[in-house]
Formats: sequence, C-alpha cells, structure tokens
Amino acid sequence: MKNIKKIYNYFYSFFTIKTIGFFSLTLVFTLCMSCDIDELLQEEPKAIAAQLFYNTEEELKTGLNSIYQPMSQWRAEYIVVNDTHTDWGYGRGSRANYNDLAGFNSGKINVAGQMWNAFYLSIRNANIFIKNAEAVEGIGEAKYLRALAYFDLVRSWGGVPIRTDLNIDEKDAEKSTPSEVYALIEADLLDAEATLPADPSDIGRPSKYAATLLLADVYLTLGRYAEASAKANDVIKSNKFSLVPTTSIEDFQFNLYGPDQLTSSEEIFSFKYTRQDGYGNWILFILNSPLSGLYNFGGAYAHYGDAVNPFFTSWDGNDLRKALWDQIDFGLGATTLVSKKYIDNAAVSNRGAGNDLPVYRYAEALLIYAEAVAMAGGPTADAMEALNQVHRRAFGVDPKTPSAVDFDIADYDADSFVDLVLQERAYEFIFEGKRWFDLRRTGTAAQTILDAKGITIAEKAYLWPIPTYEIDFNDLMGPEDQNPGY
Amino acid sequence: MKLKHLLSNNWQFNLTKGARILKISVLLSIIMTFSTFANSVVYSQVEISIDVENTEITSILDFIESTTALRFFYDNDIYDFKQKRTLSLKKVKIEEVISLIFEGNLDFKLSENIVILKKAIKSTPVKNNEINTDNDQDELQKTISGSITDKDGNPLPGASIIEKGTTNGTVTNFDGDFSLNVTNANATLVVSFIGFLSQEISVAGQDKITIALIEDTANLDEVVIVGYGTVKKSDLTGSVGQMKAEEINSYPATNILQSMTGRIAGVQVIQSTGAPGAEVSVRVRGTNSIQGGNEPLYVIDGFPYSGNPTIINNFDIKSLEVLKDASATAIYGSRGANGVVLITTKRGESGVTKIDLETSYSSQTLRNKLELMNGEEYATVANIQAANDGVPTYFTQQEVNAFGEGTDWQDIVFQEAPIKSTSLNISGGSEMTQFSIGGSVFDQEGIIKGSGFQRYSLNTNFDHKISKKFSIRLSNTLTYTNTNRRDSGGGSRASSLIGAALAAAPISEPYNADGTYTVLGNAYPFVPVDVRNPLNFINEQDNENKSNALLTNLSFIYNIAPELSIKLAGGIENRDNRTDNYTTRNFYNSDGIAYVGTNQYRSLLSENTINYNKTFAEKHSISAVAGFTYQDFVSTSLAASGSGFLSDVFETHNLGASANPGIPSTGYVKSVLLSYLGRANYSYNDKYLMTISFRADGSSRYSEGNKWGYFPSAALAWKIGDEDFMQEMDVISDLKLRASYGKTGSQAIDPYTTLNLLNSGQTVMNDGLVNTFSPGTRLPGDLKWETTDQYDVGFDLALLNNRILVTADYYVKNTKDLLNTVVLASSSGFTRTIQNVGSIQNKGFEFDLSTKVLTGEFNWDLSANISFNRNEVTGLYKGEDIFTSSVSVLAINDNVQILREGSPVGQFWGFVEDGYDDQGHIKIVDQNDDGSINSEDKTFIGDANPDFIYGINSSMSYKNFDLNIFIQGSQGNDIFNASVINPTNDFGQGLNAPRDLFSNHWTPQNTNAKYPLISRASNAYASDRWIEDGSYMRLKNIELAYNLPIENSALSSAQFYLSGQNLITITDYSWWDPEVNSRGAGQAGIDHNTYPIPKTVTVGVRVGF
Repeated sequence: MKNIKKIYNYFYSFFTIKTIGFFSLTLVFTLCMSCDIDELLQEEPKAIAAQLFYNTEEELKTGLNSIYQPMSQWRAEYIVVNDTHTDWGYGRGSRANYNDLAGFNSGKINVAGQMWNAFYLSIRNANIFIKNAEAVEGIGEAKYLRALAYFDLVRSWGGVPIRTDLNIDEKDAEKSTPSEVYALIEADLLDAEATLPADPSDIGRPSKYAATLLLADVYLTLGRYAEASAKANDVIKSNKFSLVPTTSIEDFQFNLYGPDQLTSSEEIFSFKYTRQDGYGNWILFILNSPLSGLYNFGGAYAHYGDAVNPFFTSWDGNDLRKALWDQIDFGLGATTLVSKKYIDNAAVSNRGAGNDLPVYRYAEALLIYAEAVAMAGGPTADAMEALNQVHRRAFGVDPKTPSAVDFDIADYDADSFVDLVLQERAYEFIFEGKRWFDLRRTGTAAQTILDAKGITIAEKAYLWPIPTYEIDFNDLMGPEDQNPGY
Repeated sequence: MKLKHLLSNNWQFNLTKGARILKISVLLSIIMTFSTFANSVVYSQVEISIDVENTEITSILDFIESTTALRFFYDNDIYDFKQKRTLSLKKVKIEEVISLIFEGNLDFKLSENIVILKKAIKSTPVKNNEINTDNDQDELQKTISGSITDKDGNPLPGASIIEKGTTNGTVTNFDGDFSLNVTNANATLVVSFIGFLSQEISVAGQDKITIALIEDTANLDEVVIVGYGTVKKSDLTGSVGQMKAEEINSYPATNILQSMTGRIAGVQVIQSTGAPGAEVSVRVRGTNSIQGGNEPLYVIDGFPYSGNPTIINNFDIKSLEVLKDASATAIYGSRGANGVVLITTKRGESGVTKIDLETSYSSQTLRNKLELMNGEEYATVANIQAANDGVPTYFTQQEVNAFGEGTDWQDIVFQEAPIKSTSLNISGGSEMTQFSIGGSVFDQEGIIKGSGFQRYSLNTNFDHKISKKFSIRLSNTLTYTNTNRRDSGGGSRASSLIGAALAAAPISEPYNADGTYTVLGNAYPFVPVDVRNPLNFINEQDNENKSNALLTNLSFIYNIAPELSIKLAGGIENRDNRTDNYTTRNFYNSDGIAYVGTNQYRSLLSENTINYNKTFAEKHSISAVAGFTYQDFVSTSLAASGSGFLSDVFETHNLGASANPGIPSTGYVKSVLLSYLGRANYSYNDKYLMTISFRADGSSRYSEGNKWGYFPSAALAWKIGDEDFMQEMDVISDLKLRASYGKTGSQAIDPYTTLNLLNSGQTVMNDGLVNTFSPGTRLPGDLKWETTDQYDVGFDLALLNNRILVTADYYVKNTKDLLNTVVLASSSGFTRTIQNVGSIQNKGFEFDLSTKVLTGEFNWDLSANISFNRNEVTGLYKGEDIFTSSVSVLAINDNVQILREGSPVGQFWGFVEDGYDDQGHIKIVDQNDDGSINSEDKTFIGDANPDFIYGINSSMSYKNFDLNIFIQGSQGNDIFNASVINPTNDFGQGLNAPRDLFSNHWTPQNTNAKYPLISRASNAYASDRWIEDGSYMRLKNIELAYNLPIENSALSSAQFYLSGQNLITITDYSWWDPEVNSRGAGQAGIDHNTYPIPKTVTVGVRVGF
C-alpha cells in the first residue's frame, strides 16, 4: 500500500505546475538567453555604410568617380534630343516629337525628367565629395563636373534649384534664377581652373584647360566675349592640343571618334566609354542602321537627317564631314540620311561600343575663340585663322597650312563672320549636342529652323519641362516655377 | 497520453448531453483509425498485479496505466469512480480486474491496448422494457440485428445505432454487426459514424437490416491544422479555408497554388503566365501593401517557407489550410497580414503498408489561336498605309495576290506539348514508428517550343515514439527542378519571342534557302529592325534554371504530463539555384553570350513551444500554446558572364573563353526574425469558444527602436446550434457564430533598407573601369512595421442533417503605416524614400456552400464558393497620386495605373477616346475642356480587380463511374491589353495584326471603324481603347473516372480517368487567355505578350495496394 502511495505522490509531484513551470522556463531561457537578442537583430551587411566612408584618399577617389556615372549614362540621349531641335535633325517614331519643336509630349516629359535626375545625381555625388574631401585634391575635378552639369541644366531648363555641398541635407531648395546658376558655375570653374593639373591625371578626367574652355563657353553664352576669347586663347596658347589631321572620312571615324581611340591630341574633355556591356557608348545604337553595316548591333536609326533639307543641299560636297552621312531608305523616303560618325563593328552589346562622346574638343576652342573675338570687336586674322584650321581639316588638308579652301577675312564683316563660325560649328559638331544651344545663344533659332524645316518653334519648346515631382515634392517650389507652356 | 486525455475530455464533455452512444461511436472510430490493425501484443492477455488499500478507482486505473500499456476510456457518468477499493491481485488478466473493480456493473471493450468501459448491456433492455410495459402495452419489444457498412460494403465497426427519441442504443462490433432490443416495433433507428452522414431508418417489419452510410466530406469533427497546433473544425473560432488531397490532385498542376484556383472563398490565385514552372501569385482577401509583397506566408509542415511552395509535389500533400482572418493569422505576427497557407504532407499510419500510385499523361494545346491577317491581307494593309502616307505602294497587286496565306508564326512558335506525371506514396508503420515516402516525377513540356519544367521530388516523413514520453517527428523534402524558359515576352513591336509570334510578317519566311534564319527586320524596308525571327529565341537562346531544394524539419516532443507537452523543433531550408543563359552565335547579332548566375538561400529555424490542454470541472476546457522561435535567412549570390565565343560548344561552361568577359557580381543578404508567441483557446461547455493569441516579432530589417512589433488577436464563437432552444429546429443541424479581431504585420521591406549603404559601380577612365561608390537614389530613413487590423464576423451553418453546409464571412482589413515610396524632389539627388505613410482598406464577403444533392447509389455532391473584395487606397503621402505600371511600346510610353486615395490598387488610368476626327485619327475627350490634350485629360478607365470570383465543384458518382466538374471564374475585372497596341496602332512598321484590322479600319466610307486610319501619322494614347473586360468563366477541370471492380485482388483501389483542363472558357477577352498578368500580381491586369495558359487533356490511373 505504501508503494502505491509513493508512486502516486511521485507522479503527482511531477505534474505540479511548479515543476512544469520551472522546467519550461529553464528550457526557454537556455534557448533564448544564451545569446544577446539585440545583437541578433543587428544588421550586418557586407556593404559600406555612408557614414563610415570617405575617409581615405582611396575611398574619396571612388566617390569622385561616382560623379561621372549618371551624366555619362545619359550623355548620348542628351545629345540626340538637343540635336533633333535643330535645322538638320529629325527623330523617328515617337522621337519625331523633338523635331516638331512643339514642346515635349507626355512621353518626352518623362525622358526630360530622367535627365534632370541624372544631372542632379551627379551634382549630389559631387557635393558629397566636396563636403567630405579635406585636401584640395579632387575638389577641382568635382567642381568642374558640377559646373558642367549646371551648365547643361541652366541651358535646358533655365533657372533651377541650386544644390551644393552647403545645403546637401536639405530636402527642399528654391528655384534660382539663371544668373544665380551661372554665378555658381563661374565660381566652380574658376576654382577648378586654379586647382586642376595642366595634364589630366587619367584619360577621362578634366585638366585645368578643360575648366578654362568650359569657362570660355560659359562666357560666350553669357555674352562676356572678351573673357570668352581670353579663356579660349589660353587653351590655344597652351600648345597642348592640336587638331587631328584627316584626309578621309575614315580618319574622322577612327582617329577622332573611333572606338579604339584612347584619346586624341584634340580631346579636351570627353565622356569615356569602353567595350564592356553597360559601359559602352549607346549613341551608336541610337544612330546607326543595320543597313549600313557599320555597327555590329544594327542600330535603331532613331535620329536622322534629310538630303533635301537646305542644310544638306547647301553643304559643300567636298567637306568630308558631309560624307559622314549615308543616304538610306529605311521606309521614311529615299532622301533619309543616317549618320556614320560613330561606328564600331566590334561592340559587345547595344550599350557596348568603345567610342567616346566628346564634350569639348580643341576644334571648339578655336571656334569659340573666333566667335568671341568677332563678337567683341569684329573678326581678326587670328580669329579667321582659328576658323580656317577647323575648316581645312574638314576638307582633308593640313590644318596649319593655308590652303585653297580657306575663307578670306576680306569677304566678311562681323555679322557674316559670326554666321560663318556658327555654320562651321553646325557641320563640325553634328551629334555632339551643340547646335541647339548655338541657335538659341545667338537668337537665330526661330529663323534658321523655319527656313530649314518650315517649322515655327513653339514658345514652350525653348525650355524643358521641370519634372512634376520636383514641383510637387520640393516644398520651396510651386506650379509658378514651371517653365512656360507646361 | 495526450491523445487519450484530449479525447477523454471530449468524451466527458459530450456525454453529459444526451446523445451518448453517438459520442461513443465517435470515440471508437477515432480509436479505430489509430489501431486498425492487429498488433503482436495481445492486450487481453496482459497480466496485472495490484496491491492497493482503500484507493479511489481512478487512481487504480492510473496505476494500471502506469504499469502496463493499457489505457482506459470511460464516461464519468457511468459509474462513481470516486469509490474506493481494496485489492490485492497477482498476475490477473484485465477482464477479471475490471470485473473485480466494478463489481460486474461495467462491461468493457478491448481494442488493442484501449480499454473502453461502459455500462453492462444487460441492464439496458430490462430498463427499457419496464418503461415500455408501463407506457404502452400494445407495442412489442423486438430485437433488430444488422450491419452497418460504407457505400462499398466495407463494415464500419463502432458505428452507433440509437433508437430515435430514447437513450437506447448500441455500437457495431468489429464486423460492423449489431443487435439492439428496440422498445417499439415501429421504431426509427438513427445510425451514425464519424466521417459519415447519419441516417435514419424505420425498422417496421424488419428484423435484420443492412445500412450503407454515406461519407460526410464536410465533417465537422475532423481536425483542422492551424498555426502551431490543430483544432477540431467545429471548435474553430477563426476563418480557415481547407482543401483536401482529392481536390489538390484532381488535375495535373505544376504546383499546389494552381490547384487552389477557385477552391477557397477569399483566395484569389493570380496566374501571371502559362510558362511551365512560372510562379503563381495568391491574394488572400485582397492587396494590403503597395511597397511590400502581398503573397501569403506558406508554412510547410510547420516550417515557414521562403516563397512559392513549388518544392512540394501535389500528390504528397494531405491537406492545405488557408488562414484568413486575423484570429487565425496573428500567431504568425509580422508575416500574417497576407494570410497564411499551411501545407501538410502525408504521414504514415501504423498497420499494413499502403502503396498509392498515380500516373497521368496530358496533352496541352494553345487555347485560343488568334485570328491574324494572312499574307495577302497583310500586304494589302501595308499598301494601304503607303497610300495613306503618300509613299509608293510596297507591292503590286500581283505580288499581293501571290502571298496567299503566308507564314503562320503562331504555328511555328506553339506546339502540342505533353505533361507526364507519376507519383508514388508508400506509407505504413508499427505502433511506435510510422513512415511515409513519396516520390514523384513531373515532366512538362510547354506549348512554346523548347520550354519545359521538370521536378523530381522525394518527400519523407517519419514519426517515432521513443518512449511513453518522448517522440520524434521528421519531415523532409528533397526536390530538384529544372525550368527551361522560352517566355521572352513584352517588348515593343515584335522584339520578343511572344511578340514575334504575333506580329512577325506573314509574308516573311522562317528560313532562308540556305537553312539559316531569315532576319525579319531586314526583309522589307518598312519592317523595323527590332522585329525578331522567333526561331532565334526558340532554338538559339537557352535559359535554364536548375534548383536543388531541401526542406527538413525535426521535432522532439516531450510529454511531461497528460496535459502538458514540450516541442522542440529545428529545421532548415536550403536552396541552390543556378541559371544558365546562352545565346548562340546563330542568334541575330550575337557572337555568343553566356551568363551564369547562382544563388544560395538558407533559412534556419528553431521553434520551442509548450502545449497545455486541460478540462476543469468538466465544463472549462483550455488548450494553450506558448513558445519562442528564431529564424534566420541568408542569401548569397554569384553571377558571371561573357560574350564573344569562338564556338557554341562551350555554352555557359567556359566563360574564360569569352572575348569580352563581363564583370562578375556577388551578393550577401541576411536577416533574422525572433519571436515570442502564445495562444489560448478556452471553451465553456463546448458552446462558448474563445481564442486569444499574441506574437511579438523582432526583425532585423527595421530601424533601431522599431525592430519589435506586437500582434494580438481575439476571437469568440458561439455554437448556438448546440443550445437547447435550437434542438427543436430540425432543419438546422448545426450553427456557429464567430467574431474576431486581430493585428498582423508585413515585413514589407528588404533587409538593409533602413541603412545608408553605398552602392558600388564602375565608370570608365583610361579605357578601363574604375570603381565608384555612391549612395543609391533612395534616401534611407527610419521605418517601422506595416500593420493590418482585421475584423471578421461569420457563421458556419449546417442544415438538414449536415446535408447542406454554409460558411459565410464578412471582413474589414485596415492596413496602416503602409510602407510606401515617397517621391522626393530629385534635385536633392534622391528620387525617393520609403516612409510609413499611407493606408489601404480591404473589405469583403465570402460565401461557401456545400451540399449533398443526392445520396445513395447515385451520389451527387455540389459545392460552390464566391468572394467579393473591395480594395481602397485610403491614404497616401500628402494625398498625392502615384502613377504606376508604365507601358513602353514606342507607340505609347505612359503610366496606365494610378494609386489614388479612394480608388483601388489596380485602378487603370488614361485617356478616353471620342471616335475619330475627319482624317481618321483617334480623338481624345478633352476632360478639362482646356482645348489641349495633355495628362490633365486622363481619368479612370478601368479596374483590374474583379467584382467577384467564384468556383463551383460538382462531383457525381454512379456505380463505378465518377464524374467531376469544376468551374471557376472571375467577374468584372478589366485587362489592359498592351499586346495589341503595336499591331493595331503602330502602322507602317510591318507588324501583323488581328484579321479585323484588314476589314474594319477607318476609311472615309467607314468612319465608325474599330481601328483608325492606317497611317504612320496615327497617334496612339494610353486610352480606354486597350481596356477589355477580363471576366471569364472556365471549365477548369472535367474528369470522368472509372473505378475497377477490385474484389479479390491485391489492389485496394484502382481508377482510370480521362480529364480536361480549361476545355471551355467563356469570355469576351480578345487575346489568348484572360487569366493573364504579364507584370505579375503587383501590376495586375496587364497583358503584354505573355506566355498563354494552355488547355489540356489528361488520361491517368490511380492505384492503391
């Protein structure tokens, strides 16, 4: 009897809540208290946190490099959009919207927004670098790139919000006037000019002369011709650059814009591309046609010219640059012209061509000089020589030696000389994104485009629409800040 | 022990209420299922020694239990178990022990080791006899004998037979036979058995009767799996949908989710594409989140799985439960907001080893081949375009005529494709150890040539009782899948495989004379370069995804006491994926492009729970679970690529041979989820049920201070049908009212979202790449949980003796602190950030009906469900619209969906057309009358959400034939058909189009045409033109099966069947198939050149040994 009771008691005691509670608590605690819970919930990414970065020179360099990326990704598109707003450029399909010069339709407003984002992303990366960089090294480069971005922004959009290293953490910023933007550009470029090396530290980075020439272009745009010619002259007088001589279109295709060119004697600043998928030049796909067989990924021939357009009919047939167009009928008519300025038959993908996109070439230093001199006080022999160098090279003769194709200063007054320079620029910088700004800068856009295409430019087409999200979500901007017509 | 006491609780509970015998049978039949087969131990021969003095009978019985394997079951009412006895027995058999303890007043029945105590039968007739003679002298007492079987004639031991209106009754013996003295010669017998519908039979004029019971498929006593436990269906307080093995296997489907289509109210299965092996989306009660996933959590045998449960072969699944309301899902806390799908695989039962084999062969075809223009019509349209645009016509009339029918690219791309599926399950075991092994092969070719999906899986479950107190449980699944994709879709014009199948010119040939592929983009001057010969994709581009997946989960269960057990579970999910893409040198413009991507995913789980079940004072029953869990998720990846290969022979296996190696990439992501959870179910008198649950989740993904989320829930249910006042209502056999509230969450953000991490990249310097580091375009910020409050009221009603079962639920879900992308002024250098702003509401009604229309030789079961959900965005950041679902097809480049306060997620947004102008160009309604057409003129043009979705299932059987019909549909949802934009509006691009373009385009004579003037100048808009009614009703499955007579054979069942899937679809939708979501469920209702869902004919065999 006793035994039974014992057993009973044993079982009973084992089942009491006390034992159970103790047992289970021990279990749970051993399981979950053996480790620090807060520690378990810490995230430990195999990645770099921003607040721990930008300390060493090496780290800063990668931050500096990141300024290039957004702008260079969109450079091709920016060029073709601007060049379709010209007397000679056309867009196919949905891109015809640009050559209508009626302002951007809804799809193109999106494209404008994407470019706005890219410019400001580059600006942000520049601001982060400038804020974090303690030594002067690199700041000039960042400021050059920031100025370049703002120069495109102010020319395409007019007044824009100014974001610098000083207001980097602020969510909102008010729209500045164009002159405020230009003031920042000028200040940045003067800094850049003062601190950048005379020779670029890498092919693809700006030298001091890149800043000088950009400054010349800014002054030219602002009508400060004396300063513009002085700056352009600084570049010419540096004797660091020379025009790439040509005798055939292949020289243009391979020695100046070629996919295998690392750099050239003419390069002052370019966005660089290489034959690597995603890092190559995209403009080849946009411009080429599979029918020309000059680009191994075919091409979308989305932008083209037209042989019956006066721009082309009046173009001297001996100009090699005119031969950089193929007449190909791909369904838009027999007179369609497809560019073969940028070609590569060894690209690795649609976005994998090796050609670079020039931003400033020595040819432009010469032409800015010529124009600025003429605008400041009429053409001079120097100015004419600068123009003639570019002109000679286009006709396949030695740029430095007077030749039969030379223009004679006696034939031109100030106005007609400037027209001549502008026309030379138009031929020289096809698909380099210069013409639309030239036409606007000189006030000749309306007439030129009416003459060539029979189109009256809509008022709204002069400035790009500010993205609606900028207006909606920047509390210091409002609908009144939108550019006219949008 | 646990089992016994759980059951005996019910037993004690139920038997106080009248239908005693019926409940005995319930118990017995449960026991039967656990011990159908004889064991080597003959328990009746067990010898018992007892030496007790003045001890309560209960304690004596406990002692016997503790010293032998015998287990007692009894109703407290039948005897005063508090009586005390003094016994001294040595090696006495159980029969004698019982006789001595109860002094001959109780009888017993021994089933295996289970001793069921009951009143000695001898007393019953005597007692009744007395009553009868007192009350009615005329009626004779009589003995009825008979047997109870199922419809196939198998005896049902333990079925209860009760004389209606009395307490007189008995239970069938092991041969299904019974004998009962009835008090009235005209008595009616009520025969019932668990899992079967009870039946009433008049005995008038009969001495011997045989009754065949009909299976009750909607059994209220069956067990439903819920989170971290099980519950009897009748005790459910929450809203849980269930799907059984027969439904899951009713037709060959790649995965369980496809089989769920139309089966469960409130569950919308969104098929994105028909591509073999493609993922399927599921929405339980609507879309809660904008930023995060809306997929339910899948829990496979207790393991919270990482994604779509394609790892499990359908045949291995025993049941699937969908937890819908917050009372059911809150136990999963931060992962419960989108519903939880619990998948339970088959487990073994002790007894003779069972072998089930199922094999089928299916043939799939394109459901609806589109009627496109032939060569002659195409060329004519091309000429019309030329004429309208003032360019010389492309073809002479003679050339046009010569084109004739031309090439049918749909025939070139699509094929008739087989599915071969074989599944085998072997299960069995002894009393201590049970196992189930399922092996399967699923081999599907796709209806687009070259596509396919194979899965080989092995599912092994193992249960073992180590001792009386310890047991282990192992669930293990190993799966290999191989997906060959040929689903290049979308694109503008005919740049993708599926786009080209439609829009490639019928006047182009697939091959050149030398056997090479024609380059369609160069074939005619008006054909754009982006048109691809689809054979490029089919033959020259390989896209293969291989995956090895392991899911294994081991639990130790320690039964500390009858009412208390501890379960320690550990599990691992491991997946190794490898993708190999190769584009050969024969592909247009390719010199060989190879990509290899691998991804390793591993999740570790530790779950520690305590279970407690106890009934106090007979009426208060509590079951509770509490626990602590840890789960981590680690994902690593590696990808490499290269282009430019000398030979295709390397494929993806020699990247080093590429002329242009790509930049390799690797990745690492880890997150951790820690949780405390608890749930208590309390029931009073088995009529009033209450469930409360709680979970605290700590997630590494959220910001410091916001890492923990707390998710409580509560539910009440009233089994009003069991109240006395309801007993009079014969029509209503059962009714339960339910109400619940709870909070659940959603881990809507990816790991590291709150951290300010730098992105690495490259840019070009010196003709090479240099590294870049910069912040992304999303500004990181502090984030907390998205939470969803859900209210649910519902009822479960059974009518006419469970012949008709109705379940209805109404719910309201409010999701707040919605994680949402907030657009920033991009001049700040960031385009967006994520914030806890915004809210969404889903409310809806679900209705489930299941009936037994006919029972007997011709049996007909009919069930149906319908669900209505209304979704509304109730708050957005600053009330600003968010434009989504961009459609970029060159002709149109615009957003077509909008998130706006007051509108649902999935609202289509665009222009409204207003006929044509006198040039035949599309006119747009100027909504704001400002004289110009711009984005201000956009308005609501459609809604991707259905008004309701439904499923109807009919299952008939007659003799050896079964006929199953399953219809499923969706009503009132719109589809934005982006596939049709280029063919019917991007004129002059040489795209083929539906045939009616040829006959019904604008001309000065036909100004009311379907299509505008065929001209390059035609303008396309993101307009209502592309919106179509996506409603459909489809015969999802029809199956005719023949059951072989198998008496006297080794087989336990054998069935041949012939079935068809998607054979009939009633819809106005013009394109291939209305079940389409090219962008997945996140941008539902967009069709853009997507792999269509096929129709299928299947023959198969199901055999059991």
